[in-house]
Amino acid sequence: MMIRQCLAIMQRELFYMWRDKSLRTILLVGPLLGLLLMAGVYSSQRIENISTAIVDLDKSSASSQVITDLKNSQNLQVVAHFDTFSQLEESIKRGEVIVGVVIPENYGKDIALQRQTKVAVLIDGMNIIYATNASSAVLTVTRTLGAQVGIQTLIAKGIQPNQAQEAYQSIAFPEEAWFNPTANYAYFLVLAFALNVWQQCCTLASCMTIIGENGRRSWYQIRTSGISLFKLFFCKSLVHIGILLLTVLPVYFLAFVVFKLPLACGWSSFLLFTLIFILALHGLGTMMSSLSPNAVNASRYGMIIALPSFLLSGFTWPLQAMPQWLQHVVWILPQTWFFQGVSFLTFKNPGWGFMSHYFWALGLMAVLFYSVAALRLMVRDFPHKG
Amino acid sequence: MEPVIRVTNLEQKIGRKLLFKGISFEVQPGECFGIFGTRGAGKTSLVHILAGIDRFKSGQVQILGLNVNKTEKFKRSLGLVTQESSLFRDMTVVENLDFIAALKKASRAAVREMIERFQLQEFLSKPVTSLDIGVLQRVSLACALLNQPKLLLLDEMIKDIDLFSRNLILKELEEFLAAGGTCVSTFSNFAVSQSFSKVAWLEGGEMTIYDPEAAQAEWNRQENYYAEQSGRYDD
Repeated sequence: MMIRQCLAIMQRELFYMWRDKSLRTILLVGPLLGLLLMAGVYSSQRIENISTAIVDLDKSSASSQVITDLKNSQNLQVVAHFDTFSQLEESIKRGEVIVGVVIPENYGKDIALQRQTKVAVLIDGMNIIYATNASSAVLTVTRTLGAQVGIQTLIAKGIQPNQAQEAYQSIAFPEEAWFNPTANYAYFLVLAFALNVWQQCCTLASCMTIIGENGRRSWYQIRTSGISLFKLFFCKSLVHIGILLLTVLPVYFLAFVVFKLPLACGWSSFLLFTLIFILALHGLGTMMSSLSPNAVNASRYGMIIALPSFLLSGFTWPLQAMPQWLQHVVWILPQTWFFQGVSFLTFKNPGWGFMSHYFWALGLMAVLFYSVAALRLMVRDFPHKG
Repeated sequence: MEPVIRVTNLEQKIGRKLLFKGISFEVQPGECFGIFGTRGAGKTSLVHILAGIDRFKSGQVQILGLNVNKTEKFKRSLGLVTQESSLFRDMTVVENLDFIAALKKASRAAVREMIERFQLQEFLSKPVTSLDIGVLQRVSLACALLNQPKLLLLDEMIKDIDLFSRNLILKELEEFLAAGGTCVSTFSNFAVSQSFSKVAWLEGGEMTIYDPEAAQAEWNRQENYYAEQSGRYDD
């Protein structure tokens, strides 16, 4: 009879979630749409062809060499040549070009006379990501150009070409980007953004666990039936947790199998980590649900937590760059542990010794959140003792 | 004989309003106990307290000899029909019957029996939100009777429903009482007062118990009094 009761509750919950069209759409379509949109947004994977304009006030062979080097650059695309600085300024203001290079008058002459000269490089800083990439692309060109001119100067001073070259290469700084060697934005952001959409949908759904029952008149049927509320909410939660896990599986399939995003750890570890996060997140939603006077407020509370949690997780803006007090506060949220853990597991797989405290933290959060929800329910819905 | 319901010095406060000022009453096995009161008198609140849904400020409530503050075991022998439908709105008639049967640990045979007794065959696959009030109350009572309760709590059950459903429900209630069941029912229309063994009149947070004839006489007296006071009979 007890199994029949549990099965009936689970079946009813499953039907309820399926029949609720908006909930069904949010859970089924939301995360997948998020992934597809993000995959589309970051499909180029890197920022290339950064529009560049040149103002050549020198018109010498040396300045032509600079222009050629800029044109040959991997990520810059020379799209305009202006005669004056003000034309360049106007073009940057209108957003037509991101990078402007101004080669001064007498540039060639100053180089030939081994005098110091300045090539002005102007970067539109309005979009930080664009500006950082532009800066990096320009730096590659200017570094090479500076070295070439330096070597030529040394040769002009009578130093042997091989000695001049060695002088500039005496200290090498070989760069080696680990885990995401091509600095691929898609690897970094697509899965995380899709999981952000998913966790928001999950939080919303979880926020209905308790208030979705005791906020309706059918709660009278449940209360007079004498069924244990622990049994009722345990069975409901099992269904929720199963559904939340099922909704993320297509996202993972598309991300790792179709789009071939990196997954350094094994599937089983990643799914286990996801499951423990779902428990913590569902616990959080259930707690919010138990504290809310009605369903509308429960959704509001859920969104207040779910919306900023991704930004606070330190995934896009590093935790180390946040104020000290905030660095501690953000670890209260399961989302912080999850997104940090996702980074480690997808790129690095640092092993159980390192990841175990992520699992423990999420597990303890789940216990804490469910306990608060149970206590709140007891205070509100159980009869007085004595 | 042990009363089915024993309420002693019950006090209930809603916000700042004292809804019950220490009311006491008993309901004996086999009785059909009517609770009368105008809107806001506290009929529904009292039913919810008896059903173990609402808490109360002070006093003692015993159902079938069990203190409702200490145990929920009495709910096994309880059936409730609320004033506004408390069926599961996202489910059909048969799904409600099946689910409530599972909650109450009632058998599938009990579900089939209720479908027969309340003539619900043609409505089984309909969502409860699409039902007429009479059919809805038939389903509600069928659900309340699934666990073969000893005590039925009915809140304004037969108000404004079609005559067929009304008679079907009354027939089932008579059979329930004849089989030894006890019933507490709220009402706000004196046309049905004669069907009760006792009538409890709730007014101003206090309860006065009458036999049905005395309750009817008191109703008539008050109706005449207030008609005179308002000048309605002057013409």
